[in-house]
Amino acid sequence: MKKKLLAVLATAAMVLGLVGCGQEAPASTESTETTTSVVESTETASTEETTEAEPVTLRMAWWGSQTRHDRTIAVIELYESLHPNVTIEYEPMDFDGYFNKLTTLVASNEVWDIFQLGSNFPTYQSKIYTLNDFIADGTIDVSGTTDAFLRIAADEDGNQVGLCSGVNTYGIAYNPAMFKEAGVAEPTENWTWEDYKQACLTIHEKLNVYGSSKFDDWQAGASMGVGQEGFDYSFFNNKNDGLGFDDPSMLTDYISMRKELVDAGAFPDPGACKEIADIEQDFVVSGEAAMTWVASNQYAALSEAAKANGIEELKLINPPRKKADGPAGITIQSSQMLCVSQDSKNPAEAAKFIEFFQSNVDANKILLAERGIPTFTAVRDALADELTDVEKTVYAYVDVVGSFDTGGKTVNPASPACTDAIKEQYNYYLEKAIYGECTAEEAAKAVYDFAKSQF
Amino acid sequence: MNKKKNDGSGRTGWNRFIYNNNTVGYVFLAPFVIGFLCFTIIPMISSLYYSCTDYNMIDKETWIGINNYINLFKDERFLNSIKVTLEYVFFSVPLKLAFALFIAFLLTRPSKAVSFYRSLYYLPSLIGGSVAVALVWKELFARKGLINVNLGKLGIDAVNWFGNMTTAKWPIILMTVWQFGSSMLIFAAGLKEIPSSYYEAAKIDGANGWQSFWKITMPCLSPIILFNLIMQLISSFMVFTQAFVITGGGPNDATMYYALYVYKQGINNRNMGYASAMSWVMLVIMSVITLIVFKTSNHWVFNESES
Amino acid sequence: MKGRKVVSTVIYHIFIAALGLVMVYPVLWMVSGSLKNNAEILSGSLSLIPPAWRWENFAQGWRGFGHVTFTTYFKNSILITTFATLGTVISSSLIAYALSRVKFAGRKLWFTIMIGTMLLPGQVVMIPQYLIYNRIHWVGTPLPLIVPHFFGAPFFIYMMMQFMTSIPRELDEAAIIDGCSKYSVFSRVIFPLLKPSLISTIIIQFYWKWDDYMGPMLYLGKPTSYTVSIAVKLFADATSKTDYGPMFAMSTLSMIPVFTIFLVFNRYLVDGISTSGLKG
Repeated sequence: MKKKLLAVLATAAMVLGLVGCGQEAPASTESTETTTSVVESTETASTEETTEAEPVTLRMAWWGSQTRHDRTIAVIELYESLHPNVTIEYEPMDFDGYFNKLTTLVASNEVWDIFQLGSNFPTYQSKIYTLNDFIADGTIDVSGTTDAFLRIAADEDGNQVGLCSGVNTYGIAYNPAMFKEAGVAEPTENWTWEDYKQACLTIHEKLNVYGSSKFDDWQAGASMGVGQEGFDYSFFNNKNDGLGFDDPSMLTDYISMRKELVDAGAFPDPGACKEIADIEQDFVVSGEAAMTWVASNQYAALSEAAKANGIEELKLINPPRKKADGPAGITIQSSQMLCVSQDSKNPAEAAKFIEFFQSNVDANKILLAERGIPTFTAVRDALADELTDVEKTVYAYVDVVGSFDTGGKTVNPASPACTDAIKEQYNYYLEKAIYGECTAEEAAKAVYDFAKSQF
Repeated sequence: MNKKKNDGSGRTGWNRFIYNNNTVGYVFLAPFVIGFLCFTIIPMISSLYYSCTDYNMIDKETWIGINNYINLFKDERFLNSIKVTLEYVFFSVPLKLAFALFIAFLLTRPSKAVSFYRSLYYLPSLIGGSVAVALVWKELFARKGLINVNLGKLGIDAVNWFGNMTTAKWPIILMTVWQFGSSMLIFAAGLKEIPSSYYEAAKIDGANGWQSFWKITMPCLSPIILFNLIMQLISSFMVFTQAFVITGGGPNDATMYYALYVYKQGINNRNMGYASAMSWVMLVIMSVITLIVFKTSNHWVFNESES
Repeated sequence: MKGRKVVSTVIYHIFIAALGLVMVYPVLWMVSGSLKNNAEILSGSLSLIPPAWRWENFAQGWRGFGHVTFTTYFKNSILITTFATLGTVISSSLIAYALSRVKFAGRKLWFTIMIGTMLLPGQVVMIPQYLIYNRIHWVGTPLPLIVPHFFGAPFFIYMMMQFMTSIPRELDEAAIIDGCSKYSVFSRVIFPLLKPSLISTIIIQFYWKWDDYMGPMLYLGKPTSYTVSIAVKLFADATSKTDYGPMFAMSTLSMIPVFTIFLVFNRYLVDGISTSGLKG
């Protein structure tokens, strides 16, 4: 038994890059010495846990790439070595496969005990075991994080649906050299869609490249776009049981601007957008565009790829606003979170693991914030020294977004289950408008009517 | 069939039973019947049931009668998906079959190199709808891609393949035709079945290559042609992967084929009732078309065993 | 006469080889991509020569995920694929014999049903099917991926039926006169004569099964039972970063078993095809 544990710990240490591990001894040991060696900590762990409760098996799944799979598995093994009575059966997957399987597991009431969800969590709300009781009874210790960070993984009624694995937000990455060459002023925090449009047109005219590359139109034009109208508006209301605006024309501007830019050749047409299979293929990377929409957790990959392509510098700024002094419309979100499922037979054990995964410093020295910016202060501090300059930019940007004025309102990070269908419809009508099959007004009206009919 | 004859060996009732055509038939058919009853019929009936419900795969379904079907015929995206699917079938099936038959026929030459060539032509079918193919295809048909560069050399204006609603289908059709390996293989197997004595006899009668192709190869191969035709029809109606990895249904739904729309509605939007209804409508359309092909096949398929 | 033949042979070879190269180009691009890094793959270059030969992609890819390497994935894939192919060949030929050669009551109906089962898209039967396998506790085992193949695959059943039409009925009748029963007609006459279609079945079914991703994804639980088709996808993450190099490296290796099967069995489709009358 001990031998196996040692092996497990050794591999964990290897992934860790041989940083010391195991100082966070199980609950009852008082002294947590950072100097504890691997072997010693194994001994405390194993002698301690032999007296403990019966064996528990938890199932867990996530999606990701090789790096994420390796690191997550190493953390699972670290946890198992600290809690010998717990066995975690894990399933690493790819994104499409993950959600296909989740769909079937939901239908057969067999969802994994611990599972990963993105901002689409409300869809699976009925399958999520909320963590409020565990937080109340101390199973999960949330003293190391802030209310703001907890709230991004909670629903409109304050139910804690999961613990956030990383904070994320959106922004515009731009190539300052191109702005300079075209004689366009670099964007500032208060720039507007009008500034954006003029920048696109001027850059296109002067440099014969796209002013802007592919956008997440739903976010930019609808979800965020409505919020930019004023603090009283949002696409969905705060209860998520209806729309948060009643004027379809709030959607019109973005659609007509997109059409105008495509027609002018300043924005890639839908076909050219399809050529971008991956963020590393973005037109900003290839030097064919001056700006692009980016999720903050992809910014590092984007600027790395751009650098490899000879583009020295990219900068990150918040998306344009409707009014220079109006709301920014963006908020920080949970890029991913870990949730406990209703189908779990051991929700408390699953919750304990999630707390460990998100807040344990050793675990996070293995994970290295691969899922996004951590939410527990201790973890953030521990990782702070190892940040690259690009990562520091992203941290700073996310902090800026987090400090934006929300008009004194708490923003509801959740969106209703019908969001995917509405988003699909939005993109459909946007393309119809771009191809001149309907006007921007008609498209906006059609999306509005469809969205309204979903409630 | 004269079944008295095989009964001759034993006169007992058991023998009469066991050698009866019905018994023989169901003994050999048994695997299919069992598999169908255990694994296939229930999912099929469930999907028919779901097609009359509102089912999001999370909450329990609610019965809504034929509402899904009524909505389908009001859904311009669904009607459009039928249109573009039919268009795709119309182009891709004949092209793929003709190409597969052409290459299979060329590769019947008695040459050592044939085996090598055939592997060359089969290889593309081994990478399916992988990420690599999707990337290559996007690069080939990109605005500044290889195809447009070569068109430029010929003095033809570059085509915006993925951005233009009328051209977007061609990369997908070409990809389908490109992966013609299994059709080619089946044709090759069929060509091998044709007894060489037929050709020798024709040669003695003074037939040239062209004549023996039409008088011998085509009729002898006709059952296999029918098979490949039916199967390609069915799989083209359900075209999914190619569009999924290359265009995602765009631009403006120009390649939003029916199976892709089923996926969008059923899996992405979790509208499984609606997706099931769509599938059953298409099942009817496909059945009708398949039936028509079967009926006409009586006139052109040469059936050695029935004649 | 002879000169003309040489010319036509040369033209034939040039044409076939040139077209073949065009066809195989994307495959070669993927193979060369297995020696490139992300930037080189995504640069939009269609060049086949990697700027630097990055063999480490293979090492990084083969390492797999956690402690499970591609050795395991290949073993699983070969096991599942072999059994499934075997099942398909045996059962489909039996069923095809019944539908094509035996005149029993309900033959037309069963044929129609068989064609009908191919007409519903996988997405709508996926969940009910999963529920069945779940009910009989097969989820988490390779059984749902293997056992159904022993109950025939409509595509191959119909294909074999079509091949049987070219076997003259006189052969059956002669065999019966010689004392064969309807059962032994299958094993002694029909099955041996089906060789070309059985070989096509093996080649095609092996590939389809090897390439199948949805089935293994839904039914295999543990990473130690994953197949190559799943593992290859685990390099891709649309929401953060995809490791294209290792992914292409493993995709390339993944083609080897299927291609080997093709090479081994293709010989039988070529050998003895000396139809001397066949000249262009």
